[in-house]
Amino acid sequence: MTMKRIKNRAIIFLFFATTIASAQVKFEAKVSKNKLGVNERLRIDFEMNKDGDNFVPPSFQDFTVVGGPNTSVSNSWSNGKRSFAKTYSYFLAPKKRGNFTIKQATIEIDGQTYKTFPVTINVTAAVDQPNAPPKASDLASEKIHLVAEVSKANPYLNEAITVVYKLYVAVEIGVDSWREKDSPRFNDFWSQNIEIKGFNVENGEYQGEEYRYVVLRKTVLYPQKTGKLKLEPLVLDLTVEVPNGKFDIFGRRLVTKVPRTVTAGNRIIDVKPLPEEGKPSDFKGAVGDFSFNVTTSKDQLNASESLQAKIEVSGKGNLKLFELPKLNVPSSLEVYEPEHLENVSTNLSGMQGKISDTYTIVPQFKGKYPIPTISFSYFDLKTERYKRITSDDIIIDVLEGPMASVANANENPISSNDKQTVKPNTSTFAFIKTATTWSDIKLSPFFDSTLFWLLLLLPFLAIPIAILIRNRKDKHNADWQGKRMRKADRLAKKYLGAAKKALGQKEAFYIALEKALHNYLKAKLNIETSDFNKEKIDTILKERQVEAGVVSGFISILENCELARYTPITQVTMKNDYDKAAQTISFIDKQLR
Amino acid sequence: MKAITSLLLCCFSVFGFAQNNQRFEEANALYNDGKFAEAIDIYESILETDVHSAELYFNLGNANYKLNNIAPSIYYYEKALQLSPNDKDINNNLAFAQKMTIDAIEKVPEVGFSRIFKNIINTFNTDTWAKIAVSAVLIFVMLFLMYHFSYSTSRKRVAFVISVFSLLVACISVAMAFQKERLVKADNPAIIFAQESRVKLDPNQTSEEIFRLHEGTKVQVLETYGNWKNIQISDKSKGWIPSKDLKMLKDL
Repeated sequence: MTMKRIKNRAIIFLFFATTIASAQVKFEAKVSKNKLGVNERLRIDFEMNKDGDNFVPPSFQDFTVVGGPNTSVSNSWSNGKRSFAKTYSYFLAPKKRGNFTIKQATIEIDGQTYKTFPVTINVTAAVDQPNAPPKASDLASEKIHLVAEVSKANPYLNEAITVVYKLYVAVEIGVDSWREKDSPRFNDFWSQNIEIKGFNVENGEYQGEEYRYVVLRKTVLYPQKTGKLKLEPLVLDLTVEVPNGKFDIFGRRLVTKVPRTVTAGNRIIDVKPLPEEGKPSDFKGAVGDFSFNVTTSKDQLNASESLQAKIEVSGKGNLKLFELPKLNVPSSLEVYEPEHLENVSTNLSGMQGKISDTYTIVPQFKGKYPIPTISFSYFDLKTERYKRITSDDIIIDVLEGPMASVANANENPISSNDKQTVKPNTSTFAFIKTATTWSDIKLSPFFDSTLFWLLLLLPFLAIPIAILIRNRKDKHNADWQGKRMRKADRLAKKYLGAAKKALGQKEAFYIALEKALHNYLKAKLNIETSDFNKEKIDTILKERQVEAGVVSGFISILENCELARYTPITQVTMKNDYDKAAQTISFIDKQLR
Repeated sequence: MKAITSLLLCCFSVFGFAQNNQRFEEANALYNDGKFAEAIDIYESILETDVHSAELYFNLGNANYKLNNIAPSIYYYEKALQLSPNDKDINNNLAFAQKMTIDAIEKVPEVGFSRIFKNIINTFNTDTWAKIAVSAVLIFVMLFLMYHFSYSTSRKRVAFVISVFSLLVACISVAMAFQKERLVKADNPAIIFAQESRVKLDPNQTSEEIFRLHEGTKVQVLETYGNWKNIQISDKSKGWIPSKDLKMLKDL
């Protein structure tokens, strides 16, 4: 029981505590205007929401206090809530021109000291109409602003930026009608307006003050040039309704309509060029975030059927502003002009979607046709680097179809028959060759070698040599007698050489002579040494038609040889025998048939 | 000693040829099984032993074609054609491979006298012209001597006419051999190996691009400067291309 009571009390206590805490003490200084002519007056109010003691005003040293302090207290209840306000007001006249600060006022509330913020006042030269309410046109110019908000002031070339035009209107004035006087042309930009459905009035702050604003226009821009680019301003003609401080009989405020032209100031966009470093050679200006692929509708088909090859780039970026890479196919494929498709939507963040080129290809002949890899490069804004995507190799296999008659591959001007066209006699790819003969890669050429020149020129030398030899032979034949003599000499030299050397030594001479004669007969008549006797020599020589006198002479020399071994012989006889032998041999040689 | 060395070398080379034949057959078997890459490896190992043949290049071209390697297949077919210019199979398969190339370049036909002249020069290769010249000289010498030594007038007349004719043939053949040699030296074909190559006006990277060539296109190299080659394509347009983008068909 007691516990419960304590709990209830605690709740009640807490409730009061929170009400006290929520009723925060406010003590503020408010001036009627911050800027006034030296001949004008200024009112300053010190407001508090709770009564306090010991109010000390600031010194007002640069002002003359014209009136005050006036105290007013208001106490009201609304929706069961009490609101209290107590105000001390002073009317001040400035003493001179310049910037002055009204210092802090202090007050004690519930034992605590509170202070106001100091207030700065700008006192200008004397005005014509001191203390007149502000003119409608001045208000209109001060309280209406057209602002161009640019998402990025220094984008890269081809990077999407947005420009949003907002019309800020102060709370107390209204806009009756508006018309675009000059809509900006965005030179050096690719631009696209984003349509705005209905103008929604929203609340926002402009330079720290409460305003209402309307978004008039949203544009996506892709800068197409580098450097400082100017955004042309948007110019609006407005009819502004400014309250003139009067009221009609129903208590509604009367307004003054003021025509007014507002412009959003020039904006300069500093466009950065894309970095040169690492710029791929196949870069064609794509900036953003893309994926790239190349596909064919089929990879096996027959000749004269068709297939589609599609080059597609999808993603986010300046899709409409770059060229797609071209399809390179073997020259023997028939390719038609590509069909270009764009499926791109533009919103505040830029273009998004995909673009594609579709090529129709009709192979005419059988064979394999590669579609080489296609590469696509773009500048990635996130990493600020270039990226390249390369497609896979695709091979189109044409299974059935006629063979092409291809101009001779052998276009080499050196090799023979360069005008000949080779019509493959078979419509198939030939199989490898299974047998071969090897030759050295490094061959020494025959032409221009020493051997070549020798073989070419030496035969010419043969002509004079042959003629010379022939002439000599003719001369030789003409001298018949001399020839005979030379022949006898030659015979004697051949067979009697040994005997001649031994001339003078009886024994050796006759042995040599006999041997020489035997040798001669052996050579000429094919007589074996075994059947070598005078009778046989006589008959054989006679058979061979040698004269009897010569034969007897020959035999007498042979006998002399035998005799001489046992008889004394003089030098003269030896010489005679030698000459006789030479003469006989010569005779036999001549008569021998 | 020298004789023994040369004999040994000869034996060794015969042995080498036998080994190459074995490898060639092995590679052919791999090709037939569809193992083209392995076949290419073996074929190329044969090339490393400094021997070649039209058939080897042809098979290499075939294997590369099967693997869709455009540039190597055309390169090897062209190599094969250099050794055996009139082979029907090689020309046929080269036509297949050329369909895979991208560039379509018009050919400027050669006309008139220069074409006839070139056709005559191209009838034989340099060494054949040289051999014709040598044999013509031999015939001339023999017939001239016959003319000089023979007694009958008719024989003398025939020998003289033929010998003068063969001297003429010899002179022309030597001239042709020189012309052929000049043409061979001027002919430096190459195949583009880079997938896409930019042909520039001047031999530097910053120069203006004239046109682009793609893998497998045959060009004539006219001049080399640093890492750049001056090339001419069959429609006679010229430009500079980085050396690494192409491969010469002749080893220099």
